[in-house]
Amino acid sequence: MDRILEVNKLTKSFDKGKSYALKDVNFHIDRGHICAVVGESGSGKTTLIRLIAGLENPDNGEIFLNNNLVSSLKKVVQPEKRNIGMVFQEYALFPHLNVIENVLYGLKKNKDKKERALEVIQLVGLTDFEKRYPHELSGGQQQRVALARALAPNPSLLILDEPFSNLDAMMRHQLRNEVFNIIKKTGVTAIFVTHDTQDALAVADEILILQEGQLIQKDEASKLYNKPQSIYVASLFGNTVQLNKGLKKAFRCPLKEDCCHAIRNENIAINASDCEYVTEAKILKRTFLGTHWQLLLKLENGENLSVVTNETVLGDTLKIGFNSKDVLQFDE
Amino acid sequence: MKQAGSSQENFSWKYRIQRGIRDFNKWTVFTVLILLFIAVPVITIFFKLFDGPGESWEHISKYLLADYLKNSLYLAILCSLITLIAGVFSAWVVTRFEFPMRTYLEWLLIIPLAIPGYIMAYAYAGFFDYGGIFSWLLSPFGIENFKLDMMNVIGLSFVLGISLFPYIYVSARAFFLTQALNLLEASRLLGVSETKSFFKLVFPLARPAIVAGLVLVLMEVLNDYGAAEYYGVNTFTTGIFRSWFSLEEPETAIYLSALLLSIVFVLIILEKYQRRKLQYTSPKSGRTSIDYRIQFNRPKQLVLTLLVSLPVLLGFIIPVIQLVQWSVRTFSEVFNQDLLWLSLQSFGIAFAGACFTVLFALLLLYFSKWNKIYSVQSASKLGVLGYAIPGAVVAIGIMIPTLSLDKNFIDWGWASKFIINGTLIALVYAYVVRFLAVAYQPLESSSLKVNSSIPDSSKILGMGNFKTFFKIEFPLLKAGMLSAFILVFIDILKELPLTLILKPYHINTLAVNAYGYASDEMVMHASIPSLFIILTALIPVIVLNKLLLKNG
Repeated sequence: MDRILEVNKLTKSFDKGKSYALKDVNFHIDRGHICAVVGESGSGKTTLIRLIAGLENPDNGEIFLNNNLVSSLKKVVQPEKRNIGMVFQEYALFPHLNVIENVLYGLKKNKDKKERALEVIQLVGLTDFEKRYPHELSGGQQQRVALARALAPNPSLLILDEPFSNLDAMMRHQLRNEVFNIIKKTGVTAIFVTHDTQDALAVADEILILQEGQLIQKDEASKLYNKPQSIYVASLFGNTVQLNKGLKKAFRCPLKEDCCHAIRNENIAINASDCEYVTEAKILKRTFLGTHWQLLLKLENGENLSVVTNETVLGDTLKIGFNSKDVLQFDE
Repeated sequence: MKQAGSSQENFSWKYRIQRGIRDFNKWTVFTVLILLFIAVPVITIFFKLFDGPGESWEHISKYLLADYLKNSLYLAILCSLITLIAGVFSAWVVTRFEFPMRTYLEWLLIIPLAIPGYIMAYAYAGFFDYGGIFSWLLSPFGIENFKLDMMNVIGLSFVLGISLFPYIYVSARAFFLTQALNLLEASRLLGVSETKSFFKLVFPLARPAIVAGLVLVLMEVLNDYGAAEYYGVNTFTTGIFRSWFSLEEPETAIYLSALLLSIVFVLIILEKYQRRKLQYTSPKSGRTSIDYRIQFNRPKQLVLTLLVSLPVLLGFIIPVIQLVQWSVRTFSEVFNQDLLWLSLQSFGIAFAGACFTVLFALLLLYFSKWNKIYSVQSASKLGVLGYAIPGAVVAIGIMIPTLSLDKNFIDWGWASKFIINGTLIALVYAYVVRFLAVAYQPLESSSLKVNSSIPDSSKILGMGNFKTFFKIEFPLLKAGMLSAFILVFIDILKELPLTLILKPYHINTLAVNAYGYASDEMVMHASIPSLFIILTALIPVIVLNKLLLKNG
């Protein structure tokens, strides 16, 4: 498969090397793939895409777009020459131009220009809104204009920076599906930044995890979920309990003590005696959280453990357990 | 892993130079060129120092320098006191208390800025003179022929202080409006009284803002020529003029300029230092205006109204009454076609100067953005320091190089007469150097209001720097450019020392005209051109304040 984007040893520091926003990052994206970049704020994800777009110059390393070198220690191709589309977190629509003028902005002089603009406006479902100005549109509509504007010139790579973070939870899921349906329909290669792992799991073909400027894992969604490389990665995708010495003892589970193990919260069964490893626990505190309960438990040997369940648990004690197939193992 | 090694390597000189070569572009060159263009006066003065002082330098340094220093020190201390008391007190009262006329006084407190120091000096000299308005007011009390002598350093401090206190009022009020309320409420809830909260909490926190305003005041005090000259107080600026015009010793003027420059730079460094030490994290708050004000009983409220009216009375109403009285008496002599022609020249010069200054501020702002070398980007901030350099110093720093350039042009046969020196070119050039910061600040702040992802989007969509500027940034920057233009226009209209030195022989401005009358012992005749300046300066003061209030 041909590579749309290739990044080699990409490095960037904003304080002359005292700390690194990005350090020795290597990866590539194949044509037509959707790639999510996940990390906490400050992990370097925004720096990564700004470097790819050419808005920042790297301190070292190389970026290839369509097998052409665009950034290196010796050369930086300006953003306007990269044929990239970008949707910014705050949409960045031109406030003094209406919808169609915004979409036309990036199109080269051509007699089909207007047709192409109307085509992408239709694609994002905003026909009849062409003459509106950005301030006359809702957040979701602005988002779609931004997408149409970025897609209009047929970019070889589409970048989306935290595309849904400005929307409320209800809008978010609906729009996420709409946006990625449109992206899949066009077949464009896309890279998008998010701190919401649900977004990443839902739509990405592959996910990059950044931590403190370093790429710590890159995999397909299911692999990343089932085989995380570290407890940090595991905990990004849901509550995870590290199985320390005391817990291993409480559950009488014969796992090697010099290895690091963890179990996802949802894999701990409540009132289950048919699990491989089971223990008795006393409920110290229960907190109602709407869709589920959070229980603070004291195990037989005095260890504390917090679990969630969507069942209403009666009584003061209960049996909890898990199976060996759900145990995550790390090398650290 | 080899990370420790590679991180060292990334910032080795070899890599830094490679990146420097990569990031170097034509905008880097243009940014540096503009900075050099702005720096010419300072560079000139620095290098001319090596030519040695003039003949009178020894005399001046022996007998007059102590006088200059002493007067400047007195002026600095007294003006600081006057402006601090008037500025901080009135800013606090209008933001914290409710009283009759408050909304009017809030912006009336800004209008003394419309009166340049030298005009204030003329008006007060007349007001307190024998047979002036003040002695007329006292005559019903049996006090005849009273005269308050203004022609000394105390009188000078008073007129400068009362015309400059709005700088402190504006910066203190901005701080009080945006920052003080939440803190004050927290303090009151902790059981601390209003007065104690002010001195323990609000004043110390507002200090960086107030000191920034105070530094502006001191720069203006050092810049003043007309008022000091009229009151006969020897300062550095009058000394520079005397060495240049009376003694005809440029070398001595340069030595005095260099001394004055050093004082100014010390002030700037002190200001930066105090601000750096006091970088408090300001509480982020959605409330930007004080919607609750303390209401006293009626008599106390009226006292507040009177107290806050006092700076307006002294800083605007009294001098304007004096000028109006004079202008009625001199109307038939002064108001004629010549005056209208003069006003037209003055507006024309201010217009041209403001256009070029805004243009250069825009070029500096954008060229430095487009340049990709960070150190050049941060150096571009130095371009705005021109505002700190007193007008007389800028003038001399431009006079000398343009004079020798013109002489060279004639020697080389490129020109038959002076084409830069003594023409509008040199004058406008000097205005650009001196007022670049005045234009730069509103432009910068309105360009910061445009989210940086908007121009970034334009570039990603295939537009270069210029197209992005004209299609996106220019339309969004219009308001900022208009206020930049107005501010510079007014500053040029009021400007005196620089214009006196550099103006073409046959051209006059309203400021020079007023100064001319005053120096010829015809101060009454100066009233009409002075009122022209004040009225023109008044319109934008009001308009800008309305704009500021709307945005706030």
